[in-house]
Amino acid sequence: MIVTQNLSKKYAKQLVVNRLNLNVRQGTVFGIIGENGAGKTTALSMLVTLTTPTSGKAYVNGFEVSTDPVGVRRSIGYMPDSFGVFDDIRCEEYLLFYADCYRVPRDIARQRCNEYLDWVGLAAKREAYVNTLSRGMQQRLEVARCLMHDPPVLILDEPASGLDPRSRIELRSVLQRLKEMGKTILMTSHILHELVEVADELAIMRAGEMMAVSSVNVLKNHSTAYRTIRIVGTGSDDLWKSALTEDKHVLNYHIGPEFVEVFYGGTVDQQARLLEEMVQRGISVHQFFEYETDVEELFLRLTGEVMTE
Amino acid sequence: MIHNPLLNKEFRQRMRTNRAPIVITAYLLSMAALTFFLLYENVQGQFALLLPARSEQVFLVVSLLQMIVVTFLTPAFAAGSISGERERRTLAVLLTTPLSPVEILIGKIISSSALLALLVVVTLPLYSLVFLFGGAVPQEALAVFGFQLYTILAIAALSVAWSTLALRSGWSTVLSYSTVTFMTLVSGILGYGLQFAAGRFPVDAFLVQWGSDVLQLNPLWVEARLENAVQGTAHSWVIFIVFYTVLAAVLLTFGVWRLRPQVLSFMPGVSRSDEKNYQ
Repeated sequence: MIVTQNLSKKYAKQLVVNRLNLNVRQGTVFGIIGENGAGKTTALSMLVTLTTPTSGKAYVNGFEVSTDPVGVRRSIGYMPDSFGVFDDIRCEEYLLFYADCYRVPRDIARQRCNEYLDWVGLAAKREAYVNTLSRGMQQRLEVARCLMHDPPVLILDEPASGLDPRSRIELRSVLQRLKEMGKTILMTSHILHELVEVADELAIMRAGEMMAVSSVNVLKNHSTAYRTIRIVGTGSDDLWKSALTEDKHVLNYHIGPEFVEVFYGGTVDQQARLLEEMVQRGISVHQFFEYETDVEELFLRLTGEVMTE
Repeated sequence: MIHNPLLNKEFRQRMRTNRAPIVITAYLLSMAALTFFLLYENVQGQFALLLPARSEQVFLVVSLLQMIVVTFLTPAFAAGSISGERERRTLAVLLTTPLSPVEILIGKIISSSALLALLVVVTLPLYSLVFLFGGAVPQEALAVFGFQLYTILAIAALSVAWSTLALRSGWSTVLSYSTVTFMTLVSGILGYGLQFAAGRFPVDAFLVQWGSDVLQLNPLWVEARLENAVQGTAHSWVIFIVFYTVLAAVLLTFGVWRLRPQVLSFMPGVSRSDEKNYQ
């Protein structure tokens, strides 16, 4: 549904997006994670025809972004990272205006307006002025706005940014429903946990380049198979090192002043044997417990990328 | 009428608040009071004594005053139209709809001119008072009325163009008011200055022509000529209309480029790497 081939964008001498290759399948949710300035928004701005690629190709719903931008615009619902709303316009009018921009017949537009306002939990705010809504409500109204012309593709740039926890949960349920509707969604975030909740596939972008792509199912399976263990105990560094390096299930470890952190890939029984081995070697273990796995670290580890921060 | 969703939305937004009827009512009352005052002053309370020539003077004063008001009010409605959308971060979404930049610009120009055009229309009954006492003829009033509508549209188009090009509302307001100042004050002072200089230095025969050329860019001068209140050749409004139409068209072409930089990427010598995102 969305395909990019060596998509690049250069502003003056700065390469903002470098040879981006994406393949977002129909009906899936694809998440791009990356820190600020990674090139996510620029990549999306090319896909939504706000800018043209310096080189490479991008296809959305079969339309090429440079040669058939109108086809692309008709196929997408786009929510930018920082959006604003018009003053002096009611929610219903706001949605009908955008439906009108896509030449949606009035009766169908009204029907969709009722349906989607109800759907995003804003039916009671139909007559309210858009600029009086809370940020979370505006965000949900934007989702409804994206759906008014029934596009097969939704491109959402940091949809949860600036939202309080409650609004994030509400937005997450809206995104789940969009997924159930069969929409193809490409969304970005700089928080991996946010994406893991709804995405089918994840990609990480850094300095304009796609560093890695992974299926969320693979990631979730690994997050149960791979664990972080924290051990509090007394023993010399050599004792710790010998016990940990000899266990082939220990993927990585860090000996800190207060505890030792172990990234472990073995089973629970193997984990028990590790504890036994440490005790036998003379380490006095006071605490041995599983710590919440850092999904981000796991993602980078699985995709072969080493955290530099 | 060509279907323009932006125009419908803008009309709804601009006309739904109390501001629009208050502005129109206040303006109409002020103009009515002024017209009655001028008519009364001209005859010193004796309406039977009103002379057609004096009535024409009233018509001239009222219509020139109206022209000054609308020329200086139009940028207030138009100068922030596109830059305001950009600042409120609503422009990017608008540009991802199938609306073309031309539709967006036309929607903004017409909607920002609408209230001013309404101000001109509601004052038409006042002109009928002048006809009551003779002097001005309906054709003159219609010519003035049409010329004022064109001037509003031209200033709105220039202001919307500046609003698109300048990116920031502050700059577009400065540029729009600079344009209006050139149209009304600078061209007037320069034109009359050149004609005055021609009287002092008769050697340079071109000065009179230059002065006249510059004055033809001044809406007040052109409007005064429409009323035959200023002596000179006819059709000076043609130069005015051609000049400002071409100027607005050129600036709006650049405005289209600002809204969609990719429209020029097919031109030789324009690289896609030169393209910036102005949304």
